[in-house]
Amino acid sequence: MPHQVPWLIWLSPMFSFIIISLILRPFFNHHPKLSGYTTIAAIGISCFLSFWVLIEVLKAPGHRLEIPDIQWVVIEDGISIHLGLIVDALTAVMLIVVSVVSLLIQIYSQGYMHGDPGYPRYYAFMSLFTGFMLGLVMADNLVFLFLFWEGVGLCSYLLIGFWFHRPAAANAAKKAFIVTRLGDFGFLAAILFLFYHTGTFDIERLHSLAIAGTLAGTTLTWAALGIFSGAAGKSAQFPLHTWLPDAMEGPTPVSALIHAATMVAAGVFLVARFFPLFEHSKVALTIVAVIGAFTAIFAASMGLVMNDIKRVVAYSTISQLGYMMLGLGVSGVAVGIFHLFNHAFFKALLFLGAGSVNHATGTFDIREMGGLRRVMPWTYITFIIAALSLAGIYPLSGFWSKDEILIYSFKTQPFLFTLALITVFMTAFYIFRVVFVVFGGEYRGTKLAHHSEHKLHESPAVMVIPMVILAFFSAVSGWLNLTGNFGEFLGHGEARGLLEGFFGILGKPLPWLSLIVAGLGIYLAYAMYSTRRISPEAVGRTFVPLYTTLSRKYWFDELYERIFVGKTLVNGLFVGLEAFDTYAVDGSVNGIADKTIATGRALSRVQTGQLQLYGLFIAMGIVAITICFYFFG
Amino acid sequence: MTVLDIVFWLLAVISIGAALAVVFLQNIFRAALFLVLCFFAVAGLFITLQADFLAVAQVLIYVGAISILIILAIMLTREMWRGNPGGRFQLPAFIIALGLFGVMVWAVINTSWQISAELPLVPTTAAIGSRLFGEGGLLLPLEIAAVLLLAAILGAIVLVREK
Amino acid sequence: MSLKLELLTPELSLLIFALLVILLDLGIKQKKVLAGVSILGLLVSGGFVLTLWGRESASAFNGMFLVDPFALFFKLLFLIAAGLVILASQDYVSKFARFQGEYYALILISAIGMMLLATTGELISIYIALELSSISLYILTGFLKDPKSSEAGLKYLLLGAVASATLLYGMALVFGLTGKTRLTEIAQAIQTIPLTTLLDSPALLLGIILLACGFGFKIACVPFQMWVPDVYEGAPTPITAYLSVASKAAGFAVIARFFYTTFGVPDWLSLNWGILFASLSAITMTLGNVIAIAQTNIKRMLGYSSIAQAGYLMVGLAAVGVASMADTLGRSGLLFFLASYTLTNLGAFIAIIAISNKIDSDLIDDYTGMGSRAPLLALGLTLCLISLIGLPPTAGLIAKIYIFNAGVHYGLLWLVVIGVINSCISAYYYLGVVKVMWLGAPVSEEKVPSSWALRIVLALTCLGVLVLGIIPGKFVQIAETAVRIFTS
Repeated sequence: MPHQVPWLIWLSPMFSFIIISLILRPFFNHHPKLSGYTTIAAIGISCFLSFWVLIEVLKAPGHRLEIPDIQWVVIEDGISIHLGLIVDALTAVMLIVVSVVSLLIQIYSQGYMHGDPGYPRYYAFMSLFTGFMLGLVMADNLVFLFLFWEGVGLCSYLLIGFWFHRPAAANAAKKAFIVTRLGDFGFLAAILFLFYHTGTFDIERLHSLAIAGTLAGTTLTWAALGIFSGAAGKSAQFPLHTWLPDAMEGPTPVSALIHAATMVAAGVFLVARFFPLFEHSKVALTIVAVIGAFTAIFAASMGLVMNDIKRVVAYSTISQLGYMMLGLGVSGVAVGIFHLFNHAFFKALLFLGAGSVNHATGTFDIREMGGLRRVMPWTYITFIIAALSLAGIYPLSGFWSKDEILIYSFKTQPFLFTLALITVFMTAFYIFRVVFVVFGGEYRGTKLAHHSEHKLHESPAVMVIPMVILAFFSAVSGWLNLTGNFGEFLGHGEARGLLEGFFGILGKPLPWLSLIVAGLGIYLAYAMYSTRRISPEAVGRTFVPLYTTLSRKYWFDELYERIFVGKTLVNGLFVGLEAFDTYAVDGSVNGIADKTIATGRALSRVQTGQLQLYGLFIAMGIVAITICFYFFG
Repeated sequence: MTVLDIVFWLLAVISIGAALAVVFLQNIFRAALFLVLCFFAVAGLFITLQADFLAVAQVLIYVGAISILIILAIMLTREMWRGNPGGRFQLPAFIIALGLFGVMVWAVINTSWQISAELPLVPTTAAIGSRLFGEGGLLLPLEIAAVLLLAAILGAIVLVREK
Repeated sequence: MSLKLELLTPELSLLIFALLVILLDLGIKQKKVLAGVSILGLLVSGGFVLTLWGRESASAFNGMFLVDPFALFFKLLFLIAAGLVILASQDYVSKFARFQGEYYALILISAIGMMLLATTGELISIYIALELSSISLYILTGFLKDPKSSEAGLKYLLLGAVASATLLYGMALVFGLTGKTRLTEIAQAIQTIPLTTLLDSPALLLGIILLACGFGFKIACVPFQMWVPDVYEGAPTPITAYLSVASKAAGFAVIARFFYTTFGVPDWLSLNWGILFASLSAITMTLGNVIAIAQTNIKRMLGYSSIAQAGYLMVGLAAVGVASMADTLGRSGLLFFLASYTLTNLGAFIAIIAISNKIDSDLIDDYTGMGSRAPLLALGLTLCLISLIGLPPTAGLIAKIYIFNAGVHYGLLWLVVIGVINSCISAYYYLGVVKVMWLGAPVSEEKVPSSWALRIVLALTCLGVLVLGIIPGKFVQIAETAVRIFTS
């Protein structure tokens, strides 16, 4: 394989971004479709090359390819910056996830974004995002990793606020930006801390230092925790989870790509990438597991009561990301990333399904839907597959990875196992609540009544086909590990026969436990929302305080409003924020900026234009310098 | 203390006094006249230091050309009677000027200067001439000065043009 | 004494073309020709510089006129800057009925002054070369003759005179101590004076301070920075651009050579002025950035920004001082930063020239929605502003990495930390302009057209900014070569 191939994987969408923004948008604005085709072609190339890389990595010894560094800046006696890529198993898996999901979503977007005035802008950002994301998973040093990391954050900000004329979208973008920046602050601190202690930004070098024990003790723990804080911000882990549900203000395909399948998983990826560091710090690893498990149950509980279909799925995403963190924390890269891999497909599909439903009904409120199974059969079937997969029903993909996480946590952290098991129940319940309310019963919408000529209809083929493909992946992607191949590929896993893998698991008690719990959840949803044997209203009334707590999201938004918007903590916090926040130019960050501007104004008053004063200042300067030299020289 | 020394200090006091008068006088014309006096005193200083060529050049250029130019410019100025407006920064300026003066005096007094053992050349004109144009001389700055004059002439043409 | 005329060819040829422009102006009706002749002159001069590049370092006029890669690097930089400024002046100059020839000639002459400044190694020549470049710039600043431009010209002249006086007094003290005018001889003479600290010889101390301040006027560092906003605002915009890059680069060239050659040995002496520049650097960049935030006029904002950039550049000077003689990191960093800054700032100014020519305003608020009114100009300006912050993928990033690396390498970590914090502060006002241009609703739907000359120059500078930012390897090597054979 030529060494240019991995480079091309992330550069191809970058070129697409440049072509769209420099050529297509200024000169071919009346052919918006071109930008869509450009993006799809570019990401198609990335996708093809990603598979090529995967095949090469599978063949390579130790499952990693040596890509020669490019000497970027070499300064004599000074630093030299090399550009390099890591192409190992983890990278290869992430490349496949990102490029495949991105490609399908770009195709789907052609239908969803049809006729939007910002169509070329949308595709420009999507290209840019995909480029950054692909670069992120391949970066071999912390500086570039951080650049890509901020790059995807920037794209996320731009895409959440895509409909920036809607205040909710603009606010959500801002919130996402600020909250993730809090995490990034820790990440950046960790990067500088690591550089200070080791003198290197090179990731693999850091790995070997951690493995050799040179990097150990509290240093390692703090570094790992700093990295995890970045990961927690990006992956919306407690307590930095509040931005993700609001991020649903962006276009739905954006939610599917960025806020379900890829960018939010970047946090999990980051922990996986630095796993040798975490592995050697018991404290850090435990914290990852605990935060993960807690986030899983915490987010799932809020998902129980949401009425906005995208928000349910968003809380589900947070919860599943918690699962992945738990997986990383209790067992290692293979388990966590396996869940990430499966989750990317079924969660993207759930979002695309939500988008498809919205395309038909014009709303995201599940109380305004109902009975859609008849008019939207494709959406219905694919959504069901994704929901079953999410609930962890045998033999769909979600089952396999979730099961592994449960098994490992049962072995090492029984308490966290309990939390995870309760989460399984909640997950099954909330997702099937959505299924029964949206697709079952009769249509209750009022929105469409006004213009009755607009009939409910299935989405166009350009949207349905990507959903069907994703449904296929959602069903079978878990089978990749039947023989333990996937685990072995990522570093650890036990080999077994295909059939043994497929059926053998049913001979153990734990999978049955989780299946029964999930089944109970589905049954409860069925009883409450389909047959109405149990009245949801009655349940809600019985547990009023609980219901309110959940639907107000544990008052976290209010809490953060107090802290961030009320100026108590804000000034001190923004000193740090402002320094690293080079994107949100104003509005969001007025704390320190106001102060600096005031200082600037005061100083420029000295600049009166009076020549005598300038002369005076010069003389003063000379005297002051001399006096300083006299005393300190 | 020789006569030459007494003359030196006398001229020094005159030149400083005249310079202060230039700064403090409200009437610009009088200030210009004191400037001429200052220039003369400096020329005298050069004589006491046995720099004959410099003294003559000082008189020719500063007294002869520059002072005349300044006075001519003042005469062409309208509303000359308004005089020098007083600045708002007199006190701070005074303090800082004092500071600067102090710093300079401190620097000059505390340095052990190397004093040349050679007697001063008389007359200096020939020596200066050969230093400027002779072997290893200062031909380069002289040539640059020629270009500088060209730039100045261009500037004068441009700046006096009518709008 | 052999004149070694071939060493003087870049300056002489440029002077001949300057005279030619003035003469042609008398007889030619089609004034565009003058710009063409000027550009040709710059090209010819550049050609001569290139023929000298790579040769052994040589000197003429008994070591007063030094032709080494360092000088040649700067000569090339000034020629490029002058060329771009002349191209960018096209629209501007065509408004003048007369004196277009003088305008071009003065730009060429000031370029000669700067080239001489970078190449001379003797006190008197340095002083006169400085005056040559300055006087031409005073005139160019007041060229418009409207109240603002005249005021700017006068202020520049008067403060320039104060700076010259400061410089001369510094030179006088150094001359008085050593009795020499050639920099290398001064250096030898200083080493014979028995000194252990600077306070042993207050005259030398004061001399160094006064020299730093006098040259500081050229680079606009504290305490000689106050003329910048007024002059930048009043001067014709292409001249502002010229002032902000070429004149500043000339200042750095002369400071680097002067201090390095004269006060480079012994080490403690070098350390002293290194720390002096480090302190001035910290104050300069902070002051520039903080005041820039409050500006509403883009030319004034860029004025303060250029003060701040001078602060970053002085990190390089400080590194030169703190480092031992043999180390080149600080010097080559300085050169690379200057090259990057020249292209970037010129690009920004060219975009501003193009925009304000048409909308007749320099207020940042009037740039609202420029992204849709003039997408290419706005894009170019955005790129240059990003480079001024020091973000990828631009020259500014590499330049900052380079110069800050030099700072860290020689133990100026505190200064680099201040520099990084300053870069973050600067992002606020640079991105403020970017934000207004792209996210603001346009004041009017009217497109802002621009001439092809401006577009080409802008494209060239942007290309330069990107090339330096993406494939800097070659240029880093050039900067390293330029300082390795540094005549001392």
